[in-house]
Amino acid sequence: MIDIDCLVAFRSGNRILDGVSLTVAEGTVTTLVGPSGGGKSTLLRCLNGLETFTAGSVTIVGHRFTAGPHSPRDLERVRRDVGMVFQQFNLFPHLSVIDNVTVAPRVVLGKPAVDARRKGLELLERVGLGRFAAARPATLSGGQQQRVAIARALAMEPRVMLFDEPTSALDPAMSAEVLDVVGELARGGQTMVIVTHDHGFARRAATQVVELIAGQVCRVGTAAEVLDESDKK
Amino acid sequence: MKPWRWSAPRGARGLASRALVAAVAWLVIALPGPGAELEAVIKRGELVWAADQEGGGPHVFLDPSDPTKLVGFEVELAALLAEELGVRARFQQGQWDRLPLLLDRSADCVINGIETTPERQRDWHCSRPYYAYSLQLVARRDAGPESVEALAAAGPGGRWRVGVLTGSAAENFLRERPGFEVDPIGYDGTVDCLEQLKGGVLDAAVMDDCIAQFNDDRFPGLRGAGRPFAGGTYTILTARETPRLSEAIDAALGRMIADGRLKTLYDRWDLSGRQQMFFLRHAAEIPAAAPQGLVELVSGTLPLLLSSAAMTILLACASFPLAILAGLAVAIGRLHGPLWLRPVLAGYVEILRGTPLLLQLYALFFLLPKVGLAMPALGAAIVGLALNYSAYESEIYRAGLKAVPWAQFEAALALGMTKWQSLRHVVVPQAVRIVMPPVTSDFIALFKDTSVCSAITVVELTKRYSVLALSTGRIAELAVITAVLYMAMSWPLSLLSRWFEQRLENRDKRPGC
Repeated sequence: MIDIDCLVAFRSGNRILDGVSLTVAEGTVTTLVGPSGGGKSTLLRCLNGLETFTAGSVTIVGHRFTAGPHSPRDLERVRRDVGMVFQQFNLFPHLSVIDNVTVAPRVVLGKPAVDARRKGLELLERVGLGRFAAARPATLSGGQQQRVAIARALAMEPRVMLFDEPTSALDPAMSAEVLDVVGELARGGQTMVIVTHDHGFARRAATQVVELIAGQVCRVGTAAEVLDESDKK
Repeated sequence: MKPWRWSAPRGARGLASRALVAAVAWLVIALPGPGAELEAVIKRGELVWAADQEGGGPHVFLDPSDPTKLVGFEVELAALLAEELGVRARFQQGQWDRLPLLLDRSADCVINGIETTPERQRDWHCSRPYYAYSLQLVARRDAGPESVEALAAAGPGGRWRVGVLTGSAAENFLRERPGFEVDPIGYDGTVDCLEQLKGGVLDAAVMDDCIAQFNDDRFPGLRGAGRPFAGGTYTILTARETPRLSEAIDAALGRMIADGRLKTLYDRWDLSGRQQMFFLRHAAEIPAAAPQGLVELVSGTLPLLLSSAAMTILLACASFPLAILAGLAVAIGRLHGPLWLRPVLAGYVEILRGTPLLLQLYALFFLLPKVGLAMPALGAAIVGLALNYSAYESEIYRAGLKAVPWAQFEAALALGMTKWQSLRHVVVPQAVRIVMPPVTSDFIALFKDTSVCSAITVVELTKRYSVLALSTGRIAELAVITAVLYMAMSWPLSLLSRWFEQRLENRDKRPGC
């Protein structure tokens, strides 16, 4: 599903990714762990073209990115198939919760408003927020907002979901709400790549754990293999 | 610490303060400002006379062969008059339709083709006539009305568009004939008016016969249409508070008429000296108009002011949406457009922001017709306002677009939206909310800037006010009425925008279960 080959990326002169290679199989959950500044988020953002890279290649859901700027058409095609959830939720504050969820299917896929709304309400029910459809994001708690963000990404029926530290801005109770939803998705066979510091979650949900340190893959394996080693230190 | 004190000896201090009082008193008494009585004028050694050189020849104009020199038959008349009073003449520039206002402080008298009217008789002191004029219709050689009588029926293009000097007898003549199929269009200068006639914007122009004759060889494509008609006399205006100066001017004019100096002057300017003297010796007294009550004033002027307020609203409401659309497009182009376009748009903004609105309107209205792009005044006004304000709006929108967090843009892109879809559905709607207050305040500013359009003959509220204020002499009362009308237009706008802003804010916070 995802094949990363020898990826090298610089940010303002610093080598952030230093020859990262990685494979993600369909229907699996991969968590990226490691210290801050290790390149986890940059790697994730290279997967849907929010960042470009200097060398190597990324093959994702059948599209291949190479070094340098990507063409807008390629980016739009990949992003239809790859959903993303951000640390700061990034909901659209001027739209109601349901409109946040339906705007992309309507605008990008040209879905009729009625269908998009039916599907959107279904997704909001799934993340436990059906009754907040008409609310504005600003009135929701952080955990609720992040669940809306997940519903928003799912509305595009992505083949891969990317999570960039989805619970780092949340307190433990809210984190639990969000991780429940993510766990639910994992059981449903959704292919996911998750950047997280939450080792407990990684142990419960991850098929594969990747530890990135200083832009290099330090360890790859099951949760037990990677995290037992890393927690020992 | 002891506070600092000026500690000069008492005697010196008294001396200094007395010297100061004396100096001030000397300035006040010995150097009276213009608008003073005869004795003060003589003491000053200067008669300050006001005129508008933009009004043009043969009255007062810049010598084409030496543009630093003011010439004209009134320049010579003023010199003669000053000589009679035993002083020098000093010229004071003013806008023609506002010259009488200078009598308060800046000038002793106004000499500039001011027609004797009952209203002027009432509000200022009018001297005995010094010149008799008729009105002349001017048209292009190949088109336009054949004579003034032809104005009673519509022309081939509907109502005749006829240029006049703002506030002149020609304008009053046309306005007082409701049977005429004429839209009088007011200009500040004769040459502008004739240029527009030549360029096809006007069908005809009406002006004093001496002006038409003076400009004849400068505009070979134009012709006098029919014989001179109507007419009246020119008078020298002085303030009501300076009766002795007025008397002295009357007496001086009398002597100049009697001993032939005025006739010689007119003959030198080819102004039919003999015919002039024939009229001037026997000019009939024009009675002063009765003073108007406030109710009469309001009921007489309010309908005109209201219709001009409608023009102000039309100008603002037609131009501002255009300005907003253009401004938004420019802002988006500068932030997200192709690289080659960005400096072009930056130049657009700098040029429009860096030059006066008045100049832009002039360019649209007076210069474009010269390259074959004639635009009606209303069109030029709306386009000019829209262009000018689009520069300001684009800067506001640029700031608004930048104030929307980049993460919003990324979130939209990550959902598969194109750059333009992201802007359209995510970034611009948020930017619009951010810029609502400054944009509203710009709309109110534009409302008032519409008054600049009077320079290109559009009669809106401010122009109507100044014309009415001068024709009625009720400057203060009409100013209050006009200000109230402006407030009545802009205040609801502020309320509306605050309501809109609050509605958007509340909606963003609505729990909505």
